[in-house]
Amino acid sequence: MNRATRHARYLPDNKLEISLFPFLSIFLCVMGVLSFINILNSFSAPQKIEMSAQLEQGYKVAYQIFNLPDGVIRVPPIKHLRNLQKALDEEGKSILEDIIAQREQQIRRLESYKGPIKQAAREPEVDDILEMLHNIRTINELALKANYLYEEFLLFGIYPNGGQAYQKIRDVMTFTQDSASITVGLEPLDSNWTLNLKRHTDQPQGK
Amino acid sequence: MKNLISLDSLTDIVSNSVGILIIFAVINLIHDNNKTYQLEIPLEHETDLAPVFFMCKDDRIIKMDTDTLFTNAAMQATHGVAGAKRIFPLDYKGLFGKIDKQNGISFYVNDTREWPPFQAIEKRSSDIRKALQEIDPKKQFAYFFVYDTSNEDSANGSGFEAFRTAREFLKQRAVKSGWQPVNSEAPARICDLSFSPRCSYLPSYLGN
Repeated sequence: MNRATRHARYLPDNKLEISLFPFLSIFLCVMGVLSFINILNSFSAPQKIEMSAQLEQGYKVAYQIFNLPDGVIRVPPIKHLRNLQKALDEEGKSILEDIIAQREQQIRRLESYKGPIKQAAREPEVDDILEMLHNIRTINELALKANYLYEEFLLFGIYPNGGQAYQKIRDVMTFTQDSASITVGLEPLDSNWTLNLKRHTDQPQGK
Repeated sequence: MKNLISLDSLTDIVSNSVGILIIFAVINLIHDNNKTYQLEIPLEHETDLAPVFFMCKDDRIIKMDTDTLFTNAAMQATHGVAGAKRIFPLDYKGLFGKIDKQNGISFYVNDTREWPPFQAIEKRSSDIRKALQEIDPKKQFAYFFVYDTSNEDSANGSGFEAFRTAREFLKQRAVKSGWQPVNSEAPARICDLSFSPRCSYLPSYLGN
């Protein structure tokens, strides 16, 4: 490389200069929007919740009922029922098999629901409530008879404007003996809290 | 003058920040989708303690002085106003009442503007704080009628936040509390258990 070439390299040439200001402006805008979305997300994103009882003993299992303006979403527990079934006699096994099948179908129906899960809420029918209470009582009695540590209880999550469905269930509970031994808990829920179905179906029993 | 400030490094920093924010947003999204909050809910249980009634609506809260309310209702009944299941004023903090054989006294609310906002619980001199402090944990528990009604499908405007704040305050004082959601269709009712099984007021907060 001769001196002239070296000199030419460092000469102030008329190279194309691109102003970085528009890029900077766009980047700052994107940054602002992203920060805003992040903050908004942390405040308003639906939070998945699972209800459990305060000071819950290991053998107590919650039957969750989410009360919404349009009705209720029932999330029955199925995780430990297969283990309970093993401890039962033949008659008990067959009774529990029917209940498990019913509950699995209920969960499948919820899982297959397209759209926001809260829209899956249905007006609670008296017969459905009675059947649900009867099943809980049956399971608790079967567990007690088999000397197996397992007890189901009802947990109500009340969303804004969701008290109507709760009142209906409690009204039904007052005139059936099945509910006499069932423990109840209830909690107000914020509208951006949503239920988590996955945890109930992570370990599907008997499949 | 043209090159007074070099934008190179600034653009570099900002573009890096944008990249980091995008990564944050993606992580947040994935994390939020998998995260489940465990909500610990207190269970109702039998008790020998006597209930002290409160009502929460529109982010406001009042103590329901049952002596005054029942006296006023009895006076209205003597004057015949309470007959035929009519709703009558109770002359107590904007409350209205209705008497019937099935439900005892039902309470309705028209206007809550005179009720203290729930933030008053934090103020030392407020009446509602005093009312909560007067509850004797060895003899009484607090029972809340909480309006679930809200116009925007959010907790704002309902009595949820007021109830939560009062419950937290009582928890610190080891006072038990229970609640039920109410609204204009299913109003607050105070009656005796011998009247109906629905007239049962149980604490659901262990308070310790």
